[in-house]
Amino acid sequence: MIKNKSSMFVIIAITIYLIMPIVFTFFYSIFAEWNEVLPKGLTFRYYIQILTDLHFMESIGRTLFISILPIVLCTIVILLAMYVVIVFAPQYDKYIQVLSTIPYALQGVIIAISVLSLYADAPAPFSNRMVMLTGTYCILILPYMYQGIKNSLNTVNAPRLIEAAQMLGASRIYAFFAVIVPNILSGITVSALLSAAIIFGDFVIVNIIGGNYFETSQVYLYKAMFKSGQLTSAIGVVLFVITLLLSAGVYFIKNKKLNHGEMK
Amino acid sequence: MKNKKSKSYLLALLPFVIVIFFFEIIPLMMIVIRSFMPLGEIGFTVEHYFSIFSKRLYQQAVINSLIVALVSAFVGIFIAFFGAKAANSTSSRAKTFFMSVLNMTSNFAGIPLAFAYIIMFGNVGVFVMIGKQMGFTSLANLDLYTVWGLTLTYIYFQIPLATLLLIPAFEGIRKEWGEAVSLLGGNRIQFWIRVGIPVLLPSLFGTLSVLFANAIAAYATAYALLQNNFSLIPIRISEQFVGDVVQRREFGSALAVVLMLLMVLAVTMNNRMLKWAKGEGFYDKK
Repeated sequence: MIKNKSSMFVIIAITIYLIMPIVFTFFYSIFAEWNEVLPKGLTFRYYIQILTDLHFMESIGRTLFISILPIVLCTIVILLAMYVVIVFAPQYDKYIQVLSTIPYALQGVIIAISVLSLYADAPAPFSNRMVMLTGTYCILILPYMYQGIKNSLNTVNAPRLIEAAQMLGASRIYAFFAVIVPNILSGITVSALLSAAIIFGDFVIVNIIGGNYFETSQVYLYKAMFKSGQLTSAIGVVLFVITLLLSAGVYFIKNKKLNHGEMK
Repeated sequence: MKNKKSKSYLLALLPFVIVIFFFEIIPLMMIVIRSFMPLGEIGFTVEHYFSIFSKRLYQQAVINSLIVALVSAFVGIFIAFFGAKAANSTSSRAKTFFMSVLNMTSNFAGIPLAFAYIIMFGNVGVFVMIGKQMGFTSLANLDLYTVWGLTLTYIYFQIPLATLLLIPAFEGIRKEWGEAVSLLGGNRIQFWIRVGIPVLLPSLFGTLSVLFANAIAAYATAYALLQNNFSLIPIRISEQFVGDVVQRREFGSALAVVLMLLMVLAVTMNNRMLKWAKGEGFYDKK
């Protein structure tokens, strides 16, 4: 019993420590003044101000746009590669796995500057910042997309499923894209939402590659820091809620699967 | 049908190969090659590496990065150890609650985190004001805009990550082992020193190297706190490519290679330590 109590104490202490910065950001955003120990002047005007600011909405739109493109591209690329690996050449999987995990070890700065320095002076399609950003984000989310899709393929036991479909007269391509893919759709969605959360939280890559050309919500947040503290915290809270919704989506889909018992 | 010699299926691998080549392999190779080229010309030189370790500005960046990464990783894993231990010895409801807090706060990093710390510990931060009023000089004089302030901020994002990585490892520790130790006359401390920690060692080392890499390459938090006014490797790297001043891509590439080498070093040390600890126990990369 004593052990249990001390565990509860540790959990509560760490929880308070972790929640504190978020709570402070929130309080800071709903008070007009906080120059002494206690804040003064409860107000929601900062939320009204940003939620009616067209620039902020545009920045969220830009972030959405720049998330969707790499996620779709990455999904297609990995699915095609996994089709080859599962149906024809399982021996390639180890190379694909290594290549897909490298970005996880590299982290943002190195990926961003290596792409930028190579293509900044390159000919047309590459020197386009949007092309660079899309490609770089694709690499950034690759480890998560690969692992997610691979896990789902393992859970549905893809090779056996394809054999079964072939016995029933389906072609291999048909079996993979019309039988396997629909079966792992929820797994793909989970990885896609996770990737969206990663891109939504990215500042490194967009700041290095996009510079001032492409104002995503993180860049908008950064610029607001030099204008108004309250406004910055309100934006921080709104962006945090968006990432929470994305993770809630992941959680919801995973739980639904649990209840249906199709995945562990 | 399977013996058909056609390798046309390899076409489906093409998109993957193209993306990987154009945005991962070639850019990385070019960084390594460029790091040995003189500024703005073709040739071979190691002068960039030489100046990283001889010029004070860059020495300072390496030292600061190492301090921030090492201290935040060790403090992070120390707290996470007790967090993960607690998570596995309470009710499953408390554990689920704790896990969701960890998952939620692991998203709180970069600029929002830096700003929250400015609110709390900045020059007119809430805690600094409380410290001034109550007379806690250490709190009142806390300077967020130094290596130690930055380390304090980094520790925040290390804790949820480290705890989430360690919880599965603690799940591997069986209750029966504790009972066996107490049957043999050992107490809880002896259990942890003789059984618990040795079993966890691979996971602890693995987590430590993830935390180190995570902190040494972190950019957004430091940039939001101090912009380019603080010497850290990632900040100095990005400056060489997007700076308002002169861009020196070759030099920046050398810095990037140094950063990569430091991360490789962390992984190698981790493997060495594992071998030293005889590599027993179930090592799980996740």
